[in-house]
Amino acid sequence: MLSVVIKKRLGDERREAFNLDVSFTVGDGTTILFGHSGSGKTTTLRAIAGVFTPDAGRIVFGGEVYFDAEARINIPVQRRRVGFVFQDYALFPHLTAEQNIAYGMKAEGKREKRERALEMLALFGIEHTRRRLPVEMSGGEQQRAALARALASDPSIVLLDEPLSAVDSSTRERLLEEIKSAQRRSEIPFLYVTHNRAEAERIGRRIIIFSEGRVVEEKELND
Amino acid sequence: MIWEAFKLSLLVVGVATIIVAALGLSAAFILAKRNFPGKELLDAALTLPLVLPPTVTGYYLIVLLGRRGLVGSYLYELTGWTLTFTWQGAAVAAIVLAFPLMVKASRAAIESVNPQYEIASYTLGKSELETFFRITLPLARRGILAGLILSFARALGEFGATLMLAGNIPGRTQTMPLAIYEAVTAGEERQAQALALLLTIVSIVAVYATNKLSRSTIAG
Repeated sequence: MLSVVIKKRLGDERREAFNLDVSFTVGDGTTILFGHSGSGKTTTLRAIAGVFTPDAGRIVFGGEVYFDAEARINIPVQRRRVGFVFQDYALFPHLTAEQNIAYGMKAEGKREKRERALEMLALFGIEHTRRRLPVEMSGGEQQRAALARALASDPSIVLLDEPLSAVDSSTRERLLEEIKSAQRRSEIPFLYVTHNRAEAERIGRRIIIFSEGRVVEEKELND
Repeated sequence: MIWEAFKLSLLVVGVATIIVAALGLSAAFILAKRNFPGKELLDAALTLPLVLPPTVTGYYLIVLLGRRGLVGSYLYELTGWTLTFTWQGAAVAAIVLAFPLMVKASRAAIESVNPQYEIASYTLGKSELETFFRITLPLARRGILAGLILSFARALGEFGATLMLAGNIPGRTQTMPLAIYEAVTAGEERQAQALALLLTIVSIVAVYATNKLSRSTIAG
């Protein structure tokens, strides 16, 4: 279980400050962080990943303290075992799909990594992109490779930041199902950020609704 | 004279370029990725040789590294060796003059890499150093290479500071630009022409290569 309590004051004197002040817990399965853009969802996700430091609060995952402002604990991002799927994929542009997926693998030996990368490519149905650079892949293929890359690093939780906002609607339908089955297969929690209501209702059972830096509602959906 | 000057230039510029590449890249990495007080001041100080007259830079090098210099006197006491009037002195002059070009170009190239890729690498468990070598450096390679070519050309053309620190000794410290100067003063037109042509060709190739590299940048 992931428990998040964070506060952060953003902005400067010239602009009106934005206060992030959220508290929630994430269990098994897929949990949705839902809200308009600018409501603090992505900032929260980055704080959990450890690439953004809150002013105050505590982030605990599976009994391990990732962040505790009072105790001055801030585990570096590399040791947090989170997989991150970025809105714009962030596949390394100079590496092929296979190299991207193998990049974060903990396995020893080139051959083992390669075999596992091929397995991941096959699992997501993109074997044909094996030797392709990201620019030579479609949006859907890039998204699948990004998800495969995140899972290949053997994370304990996957954070997805608006992963489907850059693909067309027909691809989105298929990717939604693939993300759902990837979650079931991996048996680790997914935390999924979106501002699209239809997407939110289809992918997760638990929705945490953000508004202006606060959690305004938490609800369970029935399948 | 032409052959000797050419060989010496090759040695001086080769050594200088390698050292500039290593030091310049390290400095660029620190300036691009670290925040510390006086950072921009340090950048300005490193840029100084770019705007100072080379003879002035050469003068400071003598004050610092000459036999009676602030650092050079210790070196002389310890080893009985001094940089002045050696090819190593010419190399030091070339390094100092070329260094700012390498730092400027590399820093800009490193800063132009979308930080999202670096963050992605961190979330995949890679350290900052490994991320730099496997992600940032390959994505910034064109800008860095352009800086390296400019540094090479600057080192090749170095005259003023070299003359001050290393002098103009044929076969020992007389690099191509110095040999041209000597050939002209001695009235040896043909030699001056040949050397000038050689340096012009190298410079044109360097500019052409730099333009080509910087125009086809992919670091997004």
